[in-house]
Amino acid sequence: MSAVDQPKMLDLATEDPIAVMELFAEHGWGDGLPLVPPTIERVEAMLAGTPDTDPDEVIATLEPRGGLATRRMIAVNAVLAGCAPEHLPVLVAAVRALAAPELNLRGVNATTHPVAPLLIVHGEAVSAGGYNAGLGSFGPGNRANASTGRAVRLILLHIAGATPGPGDASTQGGPAKYTYCVAENEAASPWGAYPASVGVDAAGAVTLHCGEGPHNVHDMESADAGAILDKVASAMTSLGQNNAPISQGEYFVALCPEHAAAMAKMGLDRADVAQWLFEKAQMRVGDLRRAFALRAWAPWQEELDDDALMAMTEVPDNIKVFVTGGAGKHSCVIPSWGMTKSVTVPV
Amino acid sequence: MRIYAPDGPTTATIAAGAHAAGDLKGLTIGILDNTKPNAGLLLNRMAERLAERTGAIVGPVETKNAALAAPDQVMGRLTRQVQLVLTGSAD
Repeated sequence: MSAVDQPKMLDLATEDPIAVMELFAEHGWGDGLPLVPPTIERVEAMLAGTPDTDPDEVIATLEPRGGLATRRMIAVNAVLAGCAPEHLPVLVAAVRALAAPELNLRGVNATTHPVAPLLIVHGEAVSAGGYNAGLGSFGPGNRANASTGRAVRLILLHIAGATPGPGDASTQGGPAKYTYCVAENEAASPWGAYPASVGVDAAGAVTLHCGEGPHNVHDMESADAGAILDKVASAMTSLGQNNAPISQGEYFVALCPEHAAAMAKMGLDRADVAQWLFEKAQMRVGDLRRAFALRAWAPWQEELDDDALMAMTEVPDNIKVFVTGGAGKHSCVIPSWGMTKSVTVPV
Repeated sequence: MRIYAPDGPTTATIAAGAHAAGDLKGLTIGILDNTKPNAGLLLNRMAERLAERTGAIVGPVETKNAALAAPDQVMGRLTRQVQLVLTGSAD
């Protein structure tokens, strides 16, 4: 489709990176960091990352601005972020996921919560784009993870209009709003690739989960996987998370390979891990009620007595488990914003 | 050097603002409460004060989920029943 208005062009007297930053700042654009100027030549080179496609095809309309995310505009922001052409297919898929109704992008962008979409890259897209799924996978130090995550944010700022203030009311903002991209370490996963567990059978895929920054889970001493899982459950059990008042909220549990191996050795599969956490990550209903007059709980949860224990999410399936990282014994939990569902789509 | 602007085209249209009512006397004030803490309290008090000062009538209170757009039914009821709406409170 090429009926879309062509994007505006700007004239710059110099390629000095400071001049680019200043020009963008004048327009209220950018994330505050240096930007690669999106010249026609660079954008054309970026578009070569998805050959034989229409650059003006509208991949999605992104709220709250109603911005038309064409392949070309995604490429413009990919150039700005420092991406390479091989990252463009991942970004196009990420934009499709961001626009899924169940993700509720308008709410994600507009809320006072510090939510940011976490982009998880899976399967063949990991090696094709050079994403880091191993040591230090949440960063820094890898161009693919850093620039693709940053491009997602620039797309949200520019195309979706998630400008702090008029389009993003986040009280404190958050570091995850700069770049938030990780790759699944499928080779180290005892349970295969994550997308298959949510019914996406594709060689490469991305998942978008709109949540908080990672909450660390440190366990260097437990031989028993149950003890590790109890620590994960502890990281999930907090009155400060939106999961406490919003029962539909998901958790993403990013296990390091060694923790995952310990769980597999104990005979647990992915669903068993989720079930364990569902049963252990619980709080007293009365404490939750006292903390939150405003709740979005399932009706059956509202019927529970104050002294009953209630899981931090409505069903075990809301606890999503994947493996990432390298050697060492640190995993993490990524609580949800709440009024959103994760989306996995093929690349 | 020519570079692309990063925002691109949009589907959004800028709606024309409603004409300001010269006199609120006899008009009905609706409230769209997003159910954030204290939103209802704040909006109801504002509506009462506005009614006292202008002779307007405090009308129906509708609620919506804070994280979602108001459903069409809610907007439809407000459109039919009131002439102005108070809304827009955060935490």
